[in-house]
Amino acid sequence: MAFLEIEKLTKAFGGLRANDGISFSLERKELVGLIGPNGAGKTTLFNCISGHYPVTSGRILFNGEDITRLKAHEVARRGIARTFQVYVASGDLTVEENVMVGCFMHTGSRGAARDKARRILKELKLQDLSDSMVRELPVPAQKRVTMATALGTEPKMLLLDEVAAGLNPAEIEGIMGSIRHIHDGMGVTVMLIEHVMELVMNVSDRLIVLDYGEKIAEGTPQQVAKDPRVIKAYLGERYVREKAGLENGVCLYR
Amino acid sequence: MEAIRNAFDFSDFPRIDLVIAGALALFFVVFPLSPHSSFTMATMIQFFMFSIYGMGWNTIGGYGGQVDLGKAQYVGIGAYTTTVMLIRWDIPFWLSMPVGMGFSVLWSFIIGYPLFRLKGHYFAIATIATSLVLKDIFEVWNFVGAARGLGISPIKYQPPDFLRLIFKEDIYYYYVILGFFFIGILYLNWFRKSRLGFQLRCIKDNEDVARSLGINVHWAKIKTYAIATAFVSMVGSFHACYVKNIEPEDTMSLDISILIALMAMLGGAGSLWGPVIGAGILIPLKSYLKEWLGAAAGLVGIDLILYAVIIMLISAFEPRGIWGIVQKVRRRKRR
Amino acid sequence: MEILLGAISSGLLLGMVIALVALGLTIIFGVMDIVNFAHGEFLMLGMYTGLLTAQFTGVDPLFTLPVAAVVGFLLGILCYSGFVKFLLRGPVVAQLLGTFGLMLFLRNLALLIFGSEDRALHHGILVGRSFDVGMGIIIPATKLAAALLSVLSFVGVWLLMNRTKVGKALAATALNGQGARYMGIPTERMNNLAWGVGGATVTVAGALIVNFWSVNPFVGILFTMIAFAVVALGGFGSVPGAFFAGLVVGLIMEIPGLWDFLTYLTDSEWMGQFPMTSLKYMWIYAAYFVIMVVRPRGLFGWKQ
Repeated sequence: MAFLEIEKLTKAFGGLRANDGISFSLERKELVGLIGPNGAGKTTLFNCISGHYPVTSGRILFNGEDITRLKAHEVARRGIARTFQVYVASGDLTVEENVMVGCFMHTGSRGAARDKARRILKELKLQDLSDSMVRELPVPAQKRVTMATALGTEPKMLLLDEVAAGLNPAEIEGIMGSIRHIHDGMGVTVMLIEHVMELVMNVSDRLIVLDYGEKIAEGTPQQVAKDPRVIKAYLGERYVREKAGLENGVCLYR
Repeated sequence: MEAIRNAFDFSDFPRIDLVIAGALALFFVVFPLSPHSSFTMATMIQFFMFSIYGMGWNTIGGYGGQVDLGKAQYVGIGAYTTTVMLIRWDIPFWLSMPVGMGFSVLWSFIIGYPLFRLKGHYFAIATIATSLVLKDIFEVWNFVGAARGLGISPIKYQPPDFLRLIFKEDIYYYYVILGFFFIGILYLNWFRKSRLGFQLRCIKDNEDVARSLGINVHWAKIKTYAIATAFVSMVGSFHACYVKNIEPEDTMSLDISILIALMAMLGGAGSLWGPVIGAGILIPLKSYLKEWLGAAAGLVGIDLILYAVIIMLISAFEPRGIWGIVQKVRRRKRR
Repeated sequence: MEILLGAISSGLLLGMVIALVALGLTIIFGVMDIVNFAHGEFLMLGMYTGLLTAQFTGVDPLFTLPVAAVVGFLLGILCYSGFVKFLLRGPVVAQLLGTFGLMLFLRNLALLIFGSEDRALHHGILVGRSFDVGMGIIIPATKLAAALLSVLSFVGVWLLMNRTKVGKALAATALNGQGARYMGIPTERMNNLAWGVGGATVTVAGALIVNFWSVNPFVGILFTMIAFAVVALGGFGSVPGAFFAGLVVGLIMEIPGLWDFLTYLTDSEWMGQFPMTSLKYMWIYAAYFVIMVVRPRGLFGWKQ
């Protein structure tokens, strides 16, 4: 029994099928990357899993339980946490208070929440920013705060949505370190949506590729990088045909 | 108990704030013992009442971000419960007030469940709708005196009556409401640091994130609304014993609801001191304007025009209210 | 039976005028997502405009409509460019309170200028006259004229929105402000126009209503709530929705008539004593609440 199983998941908005018959599964402790061109339906898939969007058809099974029809906060309580592309918990709170909001899921006591928040911030090396207002932080730091807040809920699985967007190489290194720490050090299963190839290719055990709402490929980073369907999705058909004559074929990423 | 400790822990405020607050608290306690006019005393009592109304509003309106313009209905429920229970069954205030709170909270759950499916202006209008519905019902309901309202005649009782809260001199009322005021502040101090308080602030900024953190947004809002309701009802009961004459038009009108919301917003919704500051400015303003310009001007509504202009300016230029300005200035100084 | 038919016909006629009252609200909301709490005060000012113009110029009240339209148009633009524009920058909470402040301001300004007594129209071609349409239904001429003019105004606005370039630009801004801007549509001017048209329609409605409803500075809030109920039912942003919903709400306002009819039918003493007339507005507020909870999109709405 896989940890997370997606069975023929379809999410339609009127006539548009943002997710069309997607199936895959995740094992515990895997680190899986979800990639695909813009508009492929990656965030929609996350929203379906986390319960923020109602599913049109298909099933989502987590830890043996059918969570397809659960509301977002119920999914969160089952152990799936996620970050959002743009938002923190609250811009008006300090970093520590933000993480506390996450910690409050498992405790009613302010003291306990604060201690836990402090521990998480320390693990992610964010403790120096504890008292800063989240609103005033630069974007990469805010993204790490959202990760820390999600960790406050003691998730079994973490869905990261483009946490590296807009970061420079040094910052990407930093985030990579945090993700590795969460996965290797804290034992959390991770699935991440990413466009920054250096990041996702380097940390993922496995990749799933979406295009136009469908799953078009699945495999190790190396396999996926050479898959002609993937190349076509990203670079276009013409590129694939033009390069078809090359000896090694085209590789999307070395 | 951690809760009690949290209620008394003001340590996250800058020292100067606490000094000012402490000085004011002291002033409030000794005020009636110093020479004062009965007019000032009455204004002070009004100030405390509206501070507490505002504090209640602030939980769901300020921290929760859902502007509620129908609080007056709970003033009414509190006031009428106390009055009716006193007149008909001679039940003392200290019993009828919690009963009133119970009714108010019950009503708040009944309408809260559907109400909180709405947000923003739709929500605000719906709160007005419910408040007006209740007011209209009270205006035709003979059990509560319909439009004429109900009166408590102090002659029937022997003031000072601490059980029924019937006094001849204002000073007794002053200390009772002051007590409620301090309790309110302590409660709010606990609230903003509690799990529900944190959850609310997250909900206000971003409901989706809140849900992804396991927060049942709908239920959190309903709970907070009930708390706000309890505050307002409590003071409503007090109001009944204080003015001894209540009718739907002056206890449950839309104007009262607006006034309550306005005070909290002017002072700074979402902050502990906001409603107090707001009440501290608007109540004396209202009273003294009436005094100076005469009752005629009050009728003509010049004080309200002033209010209106204040609201318009604040909402257009500094929606975070006075406390928002203070915080902005402080942050700039820190840099 | 006459009671019932009378109530229904009265309700429908009233409904047509109510629809016009709500039209301005739905236009403004459709174009810029802001709910104008001062809407009822615009109506109130329209009523005063109609009344005073008629009294001072001796012109028949029905001919004061153009004056009201101009006044309303200017008032709308003034409110937008002088105040509401700044509100849009802030959070929704501030917008709410802002238009609320505007409401208080206009209401008390009217109180200051006009005093608090009720005023009503007593002269006019149609005042005091009525038609007997048979079956015992008597329709006051003023109500009939108001209803007809309202329908005309509706058609006029509908034509404006759907057949003219300006109207389409307005609709485009409503659907997608950003997109409209990229297409070269001057959004600021559209916003001004929306408030102008919205203001004009509601002041005209006011000038129509004052023919059979007396005015004082406090009538605003009642009509604001009525307008909200109509817009909620018809769907925020929908012009045809406002019309049909207006009819429904007009009928709701005639519930006392319906009640009388049922009382007569059942000969029930309890029903006869029930203060339905005093409660007639309550049904409107309750209707708003129920609609928003059960079907927030309303009948025709596309915006939420």
